[in-house]
Amino acid sequence: MTDATVNTGNNLNLIQRIRRDYSPLVIGMVGLFLVVFVAGAVFTDDFLTWFNVKTIIRDAALVGIMAIGLTFVTLSGNFFLLSMKEIAALSIICFATLMSADWNQWGTVGADPTTWSLTMTFLVAFVATMIIATIAGALQGALIGLGGNPIVVTLGAAGLFFGIGSWWSDNLVVSYRRPHGAEWLGTGSFIGDIPNITVAFIIIAVVAELTLRYTTFGRQVYLVGANRAAGRATGHENFGMAIKCCIIASVCAAFVAVAFSGQVSSAHVNYFSSEFGSSGDMTIMVIAIVMVGGNSIMGGYGSTLRTSLGAIFISSIDNMMVLNGFNSGARVLAVGLMIVFSIIVFALVRRGSRAVE
Amino acid sequence: MADQPLLRLTDISRHYGAIQALKGAAFEIGRGEVMGLVGENGAGKSTMVKIIGGFDTGFTGEYFYDGEVRHFPSPTAAEQVGIAIAQQELSLIPTMSVAENIFLAGDGVPQIASRKTLAKMAKPFLEEVGLGHVDPLRSTTRLSVGEQHLVEVARLIAHNPQVLILDEPTAALGETDSIRILDMVNRLKEAGKSVIYVSHRMDEIFKICDRITVLRDGESQAPRAAADMDVNSLVEMMLGFELGDMYPARKPFSRTEPVLKVRDLWPDGIIEPISFDVYPGEILGLAGQLGSGTSEILGAMAGSTKTRGGKLHYKGEEFLPTRPKDTIRRGIAYCSEDRKHDGLFLGRPIMENLSAPSLETISSKGFLNGTKELSTTTENAVKFTVDPKRLPQEAGVLSGGNQQKVALGKWLSISPDVILVNEPTRGVDVGARAEIYQILRDLADQGAAIVVASTDIQEITNLPDRIVSFYRGVQIGELQLDDMTSANILEQITDPFHEAGIAVSEKAS
Repeated sequence: MTDATVNTGNNLNLIQRIRRDYSPLVIGMVGLFLVVFVAGAVFTDDFLTWFNVKTIIRDAALVGIMAIGLTFVTLSGNFFLLSMKEIAALSIICFATLMSADWNQWGTVGADPTTWSLTMTFLVAFVATMIIATIAGALQGALIGLGGNPIVVTLGAAGLFFGIGSWWSDNLVVSYRRPHGAEWLGTGSFIGDIPNITVAFIIIAVVAELTLRYTTFGRQVYLVGANRAAGRATGHENFGMAIKCCIIASVCAAFVAVAFSGQVSSAHVNYFSSEFGSSGDMTIMVIAIVMVGGNSIMGGYGSTLRTSLGAIFISSIDNMMVLNGFNSGARVLAVGLMIVFSIIVFALVRRGSRAVE
Repeated sequence: MADQPLLRLTDISRHYGAIQALKGAAFEIGRGEVMGLVGENGAGKSTMVKIIGGFDTGFTGEYFYDGEVRHFPSPTAAEQVGIAIAQQELSLIPTMSVAENIFLAGDGVPQIASRKTLAKMAKPFLEEVGLGHVDPLRSTTRLSVGEQHLVEVARLIAHNPQVLILDEPTAALGETDSIRILDMVNRLKEAGKSVIYVSHRMDEIFKICDRITVLRDGESQAPRAAADMDVNSLVEMMLGFELGDMYPARKPFSRTEPVLKVRDLWPDGIIEPISFDVYPGEILGLAGQLGSGTSEILGAMAGSTKTRGGKLHYKGEEFLPTRPKDTIRRGIAYCSEDRKHDGLFLGRPIMENLSAPSLETISSKGFLNGTKELSTTTENAVKFTVDPKRLPQEAGVLSGGNQQKVALGKWLSISPDVILVNEPTRGVDVGARAEIYQILRDLADQGAAIVVASTDIQEITNLPDRIVSFYRGVQIGELQLDDMTSANILEQITDPFHEAGIAVSEKAS
């Protein structure tokens, strides 16, 4: 296969290019899936309404933000943080405890709190939560960067974080009164009737994607993820990379915890083990999104855009099934099938693109 | 040679997508014949080998084995009639013993066999490949890479194949191990077996092959007797044009002040600390066989392998690098011998590969400057004759020669003063090889200091201006240009203390 015989293909139209770049199997699988999805969308009542589309994206927002954070870890070749939901659990306990602390009742006893006092309380709780999340991320990142196996390290860390959160809260629900300073993030909307959390999801998705594409750090994430040894040989060490990426993932998890706590004005360590997605387990859900988006589990290939689309995609399938009255078992099954499906399709696509060798 | 060839393929075509790997190529081999299969990277050798061995079934054309038309559905089917392939990559199980590896397939072995029985059964096969001295019960990991290749061949021989395909068996081997492989091929030939020998090493091809088939751009030339050809005419057939002298001419230059002084550097795996100087404008060769420590020395100089101690004196500074970043920052580039391991980001675009060491210089305030990246990488791609149109493609789709050019070319982006290269042309075809030599020479002429470690005796004789030789982790000596003959070098790197009792130059020929 002389290199010169490669058809550069600039003269082909879109369909010809698709047929050249992808095998019939891939085209068939994706085509079949699209047909089913479009048919489902058209024939499900109320699916294609503005209200429902907003619901889908809002549902995708919390898991999506967390998955975007985790994508950095996966892209950099450090596998997954299996402690995502425990980081969120520790964060939500920290946040809610500070929100409900006595000292936040600034102003006269019995009188309504002022906007100033609500904002200050929120800021203190928010910053403290982010600091804890940063430490949690840096700790795991350092251990992984030193050569620890990501699975072992993050499973251990998961126990640590959950234990601290559970101990701190006595395994009780920590609640705080409305009005409070996190309502705007949990349930508010500044732009028409679009929830602020949806806006936050979109902003984070855009910023993350731009970071990966146009910053030195983003490039390093891809290089280290694609080949750690070559990364080291060209001056990009995984140690710093693992720490940075784990901090990003942890901070995203903490942000989701804050937003969720703002929605329900309370916190419990088990919120992220039971309340999310069809299976209820936040970690599984977030990993599923990263996988369905088609990010390489080995690192070096993928994007946060894929993750964001994966989140919306899972959310819309879930939504479609809810509207059609499927129970949660069927929905968990659907998510599982989607992961398997996307792994097969993306593996075939990747192999196809390598066949030129 | 029998009148009718044992194996004959005619009008073989195979295409992968838009790429035509073979275009009506033909191949044949007679009984008891050693047939060389040569061609540049990407000429279709691997495809041909895969088709012969039944790995690739999607071809068109005629396949005759022993006079019958065959179309093997799987490698196992080909193996059953006696066609065996020793792949370039080892497929031994490292945790098992040599004997266990030889009988992995399990045929011909009693259902319950003690380790002793296995060892006894393995012995004759080991002897056949020249490993009679190896204990069959030894763990495979404790053998040298060359010995492991031989064990792999012993495993194939255990199935009593009629045709044995060796795909670049010596690519990763030093001189002694290569000689063993060649000896083994000769023994197989005497036993009446047919051997297809795929190699980039011209000297080996001429040493052992009866006839040679040349592939070029997927087309084959009629096989010709090796005796009727010489290296130049063979290379001409492979490239389609004359190569001229592969090694660029050395220009006279004067050594004044060394740019880099290596003092008492003691990498792991080396017996004693070593010291030498590197001058700007020269190509310094580190000669030594596999396991002589040259790789470790280059790795230690670059901070990529572990070091017990020592210092580098460089630009008025004394330091010992502990990680590659330390040396890159100072303008010392290091290209390892294994580009797939730590030389390339195979899944990333060629452009990102070329700019990887110099991200700082192409970005400002943490943001990448796309225009600057494009212009510098295009410039470096052109220098290394990589088509700039291919910059957005994944590095993994390139042929071995082009991959090596990218692995080496990425270092131009940091404008290095010292370039350390281990095995500059391993697994690289003749055309790209000449280009790489020329680029290294040009860089030296422009004032860079280049240190090359190589186990290829032709390369180490003809490329450097000066040689420091090593033998089993010991620094043997230094050879100036006038003393740099293959015989002198071979003596220093294979038998410096005259332990073998016979002249090495004799052994090698």
